[in-house]
Amino acid sequence: MTTVEKGWIGARYRRREDLRLLTGKGQYLADLRVVRDPLVVKFVRSSVAHAKISSIDVSAAAQLPGVVAVLTGADIRDKIRPLPTPSTVPLLPGHYPTHWPLAVDRVKFHGEPVVAVVATDKYTAEDAVELVRVEYEDLPLIMNPEKAMAPDSPLVHPDIGTNVMFNMVLTGGLTEAEQSANKARVDAIFANADVVIKDRFYGHRCGVTPMETRGAVASWDAEAGLRVWMSTQRPHIDRLVFSELFDIPQNQVQVSAPRDQGGAFGVKAPVYREPLMIVYLTKLLGRPVQWIETREEHLMAVSQERDQIHELELAADKQGQILGLRDRVIADNGDSCEGVFWGFIMPFYGAALVPNAYHIPDCDISITAVATNKSALSPARAFGSLPGRFALDRAIDMLARRIGKDAADVRRMNLITQLPCNIATGVHYDSGNFVAVWDKLVQEIDVPKFRKEQQVARAQGRYIGLGFGVAVHASGVASEALVPMEGQPGYGSATLKMDSSGTVTVFEGDAPQGQGHETTMAQIAAEILGLHPEDVTVRVGDTNNTPFASGTFGARGGSYTASAVAMAAKAIRDKIVKVVAHDNKLEADPAHFRFEAKSIWHKDRAEALTTIASICNRIIMKPLDLPPGADASLEHTAFFEAKEPMMAFSAHAAFVEADPSSGEFKILRYISSEDVGRVINPLIVEGQVRGGVVQGLSNAMFEEFIYDENGQQLTTSMENYMLASAADAPNIEILHADTPCEHTPLGTRGMGEGVPGPVPGALCNAICDALEPFGIEIRDLPVRPDRVWALLQAAKRRAAG
Amino acid sequence: MTREISVTVNGTVHRKSVPVRLLLVDFIRDVLELTGTHQACTYEGVCGACTVQLNGEAVKSCMMLAVQADGQQVTTIEGLAKDGALHPLQKAFKEHHGLQCGFCTSGMIMNAEEFLRVNPRPTEEEIRHALIGNICRCTGYQGIVAAVSAAAEEMSAAGTPARSGS
Repeated sequence: MTTVEKGWIGARYRRREDLRLLTGKGQYLADLRVVRDPLVVKFVRSSVAHAKISSIDVSAAAQLPGVVAVLTGADIRDKIRPLPTPSTVPLLPGHYPTHWPLAVDRVKFHGEPVVAVVATDKYTAEDAVELVRVEYEDLPLIMNPEKAMAPDSPLVHPDIGTNVMFNMVLTGGLTEAEQSANKARVDAIFANADVVIKDRFYGHRCGVTPMETRGAVASWDAEAGLRVWMSTQRPHIDRLVFSELFDIPQNQVQVSAPRDQGGAFGVKAPVYREPLMIVYLTKLLGRPVQWIETREEHLMAVSQERDQIHELELAADKQGQILGLRDRVIADNGDSCEGVFWGFIMPFYGAALVPNAYHIPDCDISITAVATNKSALSPARAFGSLPGRFALDRAIDMLARRIGKDAADVRRMNLITQLPCNIATGVHYDSGNFVAVWDKLVQEIDVPKFRKEQQVARAQGRYIGLGFGVAVHASGVASEALVPMEGQPGYGSATLKMDSSGTVTVFEGDAPQGQGHETTMAQIAAEILGLHPEDVTVRVGDTNNTPFASGTFGARGGSYTASAVAMAAKAIRDKIVKVVAHDNKLEADPAHFRFEAKSIWHKDRAEALTTIASICNRIIMKPLDLPPGADASLEHTAFFEAKEPMMAFSAHAAFVEADPSSGEFKILRYISSEDVGRVINPLIVEGQVRGGVVQGLSNAMFEEFIYDENGQQLTTSMENYMLASAADAPNIEILHADTPCEHTPLGTRGMGEGVPGPVPGALCNAICDALEPFGIEIRDLPVRPDRVWALLQAAKRRAAG
Repeated sequence: MTREISVTVNGTVHRKSVPVRLLLVDFIRDVLELTGTHQACTYEGVCGACTVQLNGEAVKSCMMLAVQADGQQVTTIEGLAKDGALHPLQKAFKEHHGLQCGFCTSGMIMNAEEFLRVNPRPTEEEIRHALIGNICRCTGYQGIVAAVSAAAEEMSAAGTPARSGS
């Protein structure tokens, strides 16, 4: 038991979740025994990238003993409402391709679900999948987003008539006239600038791949309604969608995210095909049905993000002050069939954040998301912003090199100093102190000292380098932004109930996947109510007993959900104060009372007035002679709404040593400086930073989704899609430079979502800095020794020729 | 095709009739209902989440058939704590925040437990290399390495003898 002097908020309280997870008692989706003898569903997936389905022969599969049903797209086309539907489509001007849970008429990427096989056990289901025969008639491949934009390109969705799923200019205003005027102004800035950096950058296709894949278990009963357990970040949204799609009243749909989920990082937020098929099957067959995704399916069908080209330009003066930015962003959207996010929401948001933490009031930024014969982009940590961070932070280093200044100085001079502000794309930065975070970083690393070491090393034939990356990242999105964009709210919500023994239950409609909500939310409630976190139980993710919640994603837990928990705890505290004051004939001013050490104290009394346990018992079990307005309820549901997005800020520095003869590089040191506002649990924040940085490094160096010239996916197993292991990951040093957030009751922001964003830029800037004598610039991810070596050879040839 | 097997799991003998094709991980999870061992890849044997010990040696249970464990001793994460007392690794993982979602944790610990018997005083580099076979997506490994290191220290201070697989 951790004893704390100053309070639970801010304590390195060891996690409540850990005991069960360390002893094999976690309850992940595949562990649940909530239904008896579920039927198992496996999918036959397309073996080709783009084709008409000529025929499907399910006869051998259907006859296999143990197989209960085999369904194709033709079987469901008139039975299931296709997407898009009101609850699955944003209110943005884009194209939302009609699609069913199984392919109808044609397949559009290697791995698209074509047939659903239902059997009594998974081995039989797998055998049956092998027996299904699908004949395809190939269609022309659409694998390159730039080519796919051409008017004569073959189309992924012929009924839509274009491959451009979304296109928007994000700067200047909403009308064409305003945008043209802005473009002209930016053009003039570029025409008159002392320095222009212009280059093309590419953030490759990679993602987040949590250790637990997707899955769903569903059961249907005409009386009890629909019951779904699924690995999801957004159970309330799933409930909405199931209700809408299958015409089941919402109050007869219950969706539960399991108490334990093995990570998500965004990939479990959308509305995907497979769970919809599971719900349909349970209704059709009248029996519980289960689907647990395989890793191969996961790597083929979801988890692919980033994949953006940035044609980025900076206009600057001789001192390095950035005067303007142009960025034409092209995202490879894949087949674009994905509920709620449709592939393009991520690059759209990433494009809106391109200016990052830099003061660049004049920008011309556009985003075009293009359909191809690949899996649709699915959300991944950093949510569309990673390639843009990489591009701009690389461009800033190029600018520094061009004008002969240190990249650290050029960054500092361009950081936003006035907060709050709106950046050129209209995104609001609410509070914080970017310069303080930055200064803490550079103070720690002592750039001038490093430059001296670097010179000495070069003289000895050793090439060491320093690189930076920064990121402003959102923690949650306010209703004010989410309602017009998605038709959905963004508020944080929580219900707190105190019982007659003085213990607390928090009901949270979000669905954490490792963020430690059972710990952090307990710390908050405990501090406000004068209890120990052990007295607080947190229940998550069940739509039956939690208020409507947007979900656990985008780091909204620390900003939105935590705030709702704090508000609910305070409301209950105030209720208790009213009764205690009345019982003791004291003025009912909450400021006069202290909740501490499981008792309630008054400023004028040396002895505690009562214990929390006894006052709760008095209120709930003996509600006599209560003050006017009070009742026996010690329950409260709070909704936290903020107009502000509560941005967090990170500045990262990487030190590398590079070998110019081989292109190999080694990370010597990696430091992150963070502002997350007031920290609830430093252990958990540090874990989020370390995990996020290593994901960013793994993305940058190892991971890559590869499609060959036939549209075949080559990276469908962990043997080929390589994830960083313990031997690959460096230690991450963390500095805190926290400014409390003015817009949340506790001063907290969320942390976790944007952490991978600045990592590739920091790493590549360090490598280019190390190899500066050889004059290479890294423009494309991934960064690997062979690619660095190729750049070195090209630079040699340029120097020679 | 089925076969009768007798497997000792965490000290308890289980006699079952199983299909020959049944994987050991499915035997553990679905037949014995010990769900602490997880499966995170499609039996490539890369992720390590399914790691258990066979006669004290860390193995990937998705790469074995249950029938291969006939007559053998298997230890899973559920068998690590003795009479409610957590193993030093389990305590250290909690103390050093060596887990977030927990999905890789069982396999990570079962691998680390054997490693510390073989190498009771490892360097950080040795720990990192020993855990190559266990992928984690949440922690960035730093808390895990700190936990294994701390457990090693506690175990050598206590003079804990090497355990044979049980």
